[in-house]
Parts: sequence; C-alpha cells; structure tokens
Amino acid sequence: MRFIRLTLRQAEYDLVAYMRSARTVIFGVLMPVGFLALFNSVFGGKFKTIPVDGHNISTIAFYTGGLTTYGVMLGTFTGILVAIVGAREAGWLKRFRGTPMPAGVFLAGEILYLFVTSLALNIVMIAVSIFGYHLSLPAHAYVAIFCYTVLGVFSFSAMGLALTRVITTSEMAGSVGPFTVVILSFVSGVFLAPNLLPQWLLNFSTYLPLEPIVSGMQHAIALPGGSGLELRPFIVLGIWGVVSFVIAQMNFTWEPQRR
Amino acid sequence: MLHVAEDSMANVIEVAGLTKRFGSLTAVDDVSFSVERGAIFGLLGKNGAGKTTTVEILEGYQSPDQGRVQVLGVDPKKGGGAWKDRIGLVLQDSDFDPLHTVTETVKLFAGFFSHPRSVAETLELVGLSDKASTRIGRLSGGQRRRVDVALGIIGSPELLFLDEPTTGFDPSARREFWTMLEGLRSAGTSILLTTHYMEEAQHLCDRIAILAAGRIVAEGTSTSLIALAGATTLRFSVVDGLDVGTLSREAGIEFNVQGEVASATLANAQAELLRLLQYVERAGIELVDFEVVRPTLDDVFLDVTGDPA
Repeated sequence: MRFIRLTLRQAEYDLVAYMRSARTVIFGVLMPVGFLALFNSVFGGKFKTIPVDGHNISTIAFYTGGLTTYGVMLGTFTGILVAIVGAREAGWLKRFRGTPMPAGVFLAGEILYLFVTSLALNIVMIAVSIFGYHLSLPAHAYVAIFCYTVLGVFSFSAMGLALTRVITTSEMAGSVGPFTVVILSFVSGVFLAPNLLPQWLLNFSTYLPLEPIVSGMQHAIALPGGSGLELRPFIVLGIWGVVSFVIAQMNFTWEPQRR
Repeated sequence: MLHVAEDSMANVIEVAGLTKRFGSLTAVDDVSFSVERGAIFGLLGKNGAGKTTTVEILEGYQSPDQGRVQVLGVDPKKGGGAWKDRIGLVLQDSDFDPLHTVTETVKLFAGFFSHPRSVAETLELVGLSDKASTRIGRLSGGQRRRVDVALGIIGSPELLFLDEPTTGFDPSARREFWTMLEGLRSAGTSILLTTHYMEEAQHLCDRIAILAAGRIVAEGTSTSLIALAGATTLRFSVVDGLDVGTLSREAGIEFNVQGEVASATLANAQAELLRLLQYVERAGIELVDFEVVRPTLDDVFLDVTGDPA
C-alpha cells in the first residue's frame, strides 16, 4: 500500500514537471501531431494506401499508427534516459537512497508517469486523426492500442534504463535518445512506406524494437476483424524489454558518475 | 587512540579504528570518536582531509575497509528503512528539479518518513516560508541550500548529518542557520556537522575533531582545543617617546618588538595586565592600538595541521 501511494506521488511529481516544461510538451505532443499533419499532406494525396507486412492500409492509418508509436518511443526511451541520468548526476538519486523510500518507487513512479503521458499522446493522435482526417477505427483497435502502449512503455523504458550506465550526462542522454529513435523510425515504417526500403533492411528491421509494434499498431487501426492484436510485437519487444531490464538491473547505480 | 564509552546508549555515533582506502590513498586512517545524544559534533578539516568519506561511511553510502561503526546502534551498511527513518541527510552537493516549487519538493520527501514535520513548520525553521510557492529554479544558491536542509529535517530525524551546510552562505544567512541548528539541538536533535569554517565550529559545536590527511589530530571542546593553542597575546603600537624597556620592567612583562608593534605572550593574563594597566595609568601613558587577543580555533587548526584553514 505504501509502495503504491509513494509511486503515485512520484508519478504526480514527474507529471507536474512535464506540464511545466516547454521541451517535453513540444517534443512529446506537438511534434508527433505536427508530423502527422505534415506527412499526411505530403503523401496522403499521392498514395491512397500503403502496403504494410502484406496488408494495404490507408495513408492516414499508416501515419497515425507509426507516428503515435514514434511519439511513445521518443517520450519513453528518451524520457527515462534523461530522467535517470539527470537525477543521478544531480545527486538526486543518491539523496533518495538516504531516505526510507523503498528502492523501486522512483523507477515505478517514472514508468507510471511515462505510461500516463504515452496514453495521453495516443488519445491526442487518435482524436486528431478521427476529427481532422476522417479516420474510422474498428472497436477492437482501442483495446489493441492500449495493449501496445503498455508493451511499448515497458520495453522502451527498459531499453533506456539499460543505457543509463554508459551515458553520463543528461545532455548526452538528450541527444542519444532522439537520435536513436529517429534512425529506427526511418527503417521501421514510421516516416517512409516500407516498400521504399531495400529488402535486407526491411528484414533486418523486423528484429529491431520499433518495426514490430509499428506494424501491429497500423494493422490494428486499419484492419477490421480479429482481435487487432498480433503476437509478433509481444515476442520481439518482450525479448528486447526483458534483456534490457536484466542489463539495467546489473548496471544500475545511484551514485553520480562524473564527480 | 582508544575510546571507552561510559554509556554507549548515550552515544548516537560510535566510530572505532575506522579506515578507508582508495587505491594507494588512505582517505580515512584509524579514526575513532563518538557523538553524544543531543550534541552538535563538528568534523573540521581542509578539502581532502577525509571529512566527506567519514560522513558517507556513517550515512551508509560507503563501506569501511577496517574498523567498527555504529550509528543509532546500527551498522550503517545494514541500516534499512526503519534506520533511515530516524536519520536526516544534507549531502555536500545535490541539485533539484528547477521546475518544482519548494513546497512540492519538501512534500514529496515528507511522504517517505513515518513521522514527518509539517511542511509549514519545516519551511519556517529553514527560513523559506516566504518562498514556499516559488519554483526552485528561481531561488538563489543559499536558498537552494536551505531547501536541502529542509529535506534533511522534514522527517524529524534523531540524528542529522550536515556536510558543509553553509558553503556559499553570506554572513547573515550563516548566522540565521546557526540559530536554526541551535533550535534543533534544543529540540533534542543530535547533529554531525562537517565544515571548514573555524568560526562555525567554534560557535556551534559541543565537541570538535580536527582531521588532517585522514587522521584525527585533535579532539575536544572548542575551549579545550583553544587552550591547546596556548596563551593570550597582548599587542600595542610603539609610538614616539614610548619607552618599552621601562614598561617591561615596571609591568614584569617580556615584550617582543617588531617594527612599530610590541607584543607579548601572557602566561598569567589577569595579573600581568593588571600590573601593566596600573603602571600606564600612574605614568599617564596612553597605549595606542592596544589589544588583548585570545587564540581562536584558527590558531589551533594552524598548529595541529601546520596549514591555515
């Protein structure tokens, strides 16, 4: 009970900072929405549909699914990297360590906060697509989107955590995070239709942690029938997440690394 | 140095033979001391003397290589949540999220402890009541340090660790801070303080240990340490027509004249001063720039470490 109460407080504390920071609001919400409008206006007129993993889906469904996932990864992966490295180097983690706060609270609160902001991004993106671009979603899509968000937040935050030991300044965290996400996005069917990529790159990207969940989201939004959920994203991102989590567990430190 | 505690229950900290090495450097070398419940204990030393390493071992952040350490009757390395609940920490440097207000930050920490002080009372104690809803990013350095102290005392700790708490304070803020610590002491809080300000230690601490190169080179009350530094000094200017030789004979004081200044070390200050002042009164002499100086902790520090603070 105490753990849950403290985790909720920590998440609330983080949310307050999120709301007050122009950087997180711009990169976390305005940029994915802006990209949605931009890419849709560039490619929406030219292509009615885009083939994804054997299915032709509408351009707006393609970009809604892809850019929402891009936003979730950008927010979570970069967010946790910047938060942990920043807090550690400022001596904040060390200070927490000296209080009776249970060790997992800071992390649990951070992940809960990232989940809340990711969910909020999903809602904004879906709403913009429905009301701005006449996207119609099958009912099962909402459940699928929720499940993929849970999966994404878990896996992307574990990946961010795994890197906190090699990244020693929050400036570095703030550039490595977005750089990784943008590169992954180019090869994972977020900005560009997958059929524009060479086959080997396309094959390779299916083992990376972004493509499976992007195509899962795009299918869930565009295709009627079924549950809207696929197994592949859960397997690939599950492995990435668990392995990252184990690495993070082994390397985690509360002490500043650059003093 | 062997310390035998008469009543170990009365001591909140017991350190015996503490040694910590980093590679070939012995940062803390066979250090022993104890801190009585309800006292302010000062660890003095220059940067690199081993103060922070000692404190971090007591706080549980670092493990000793040798020696025995007990804080509130517990080995700090094994101190769990219940132990941390009784302790307050102010580390040497820590930074805060600039986007949160003072109250939000202090409130977050209050939640960690089982018997926290109220946020209002805490802010009152550290003198930040009028900054309660100010974002931390808009505070001055000294004010941020007070937030740090607020986070240290929010849990109403039995024992408070302060690692160079007043670095960066202006003189009036430092005075206020001392008053605050004296208030905490009278409310029963035991305090371990590191500082490199002699004046601070002399003013606040019930006992002081001076560290140099990892060793305790002197320990005691500030009065007893000052007594170590020797006697009271007398000084005045040698102005035209002043016959120091006669003065010396009449008062029975050996003067050391260097340039324009005559000085003397007084072994028996009261009697010697009386003789001197009675003579100058009778002879109608006016001593210029006359002063009587007691040694300060600075002098002791210089003596025992061979360096100015």
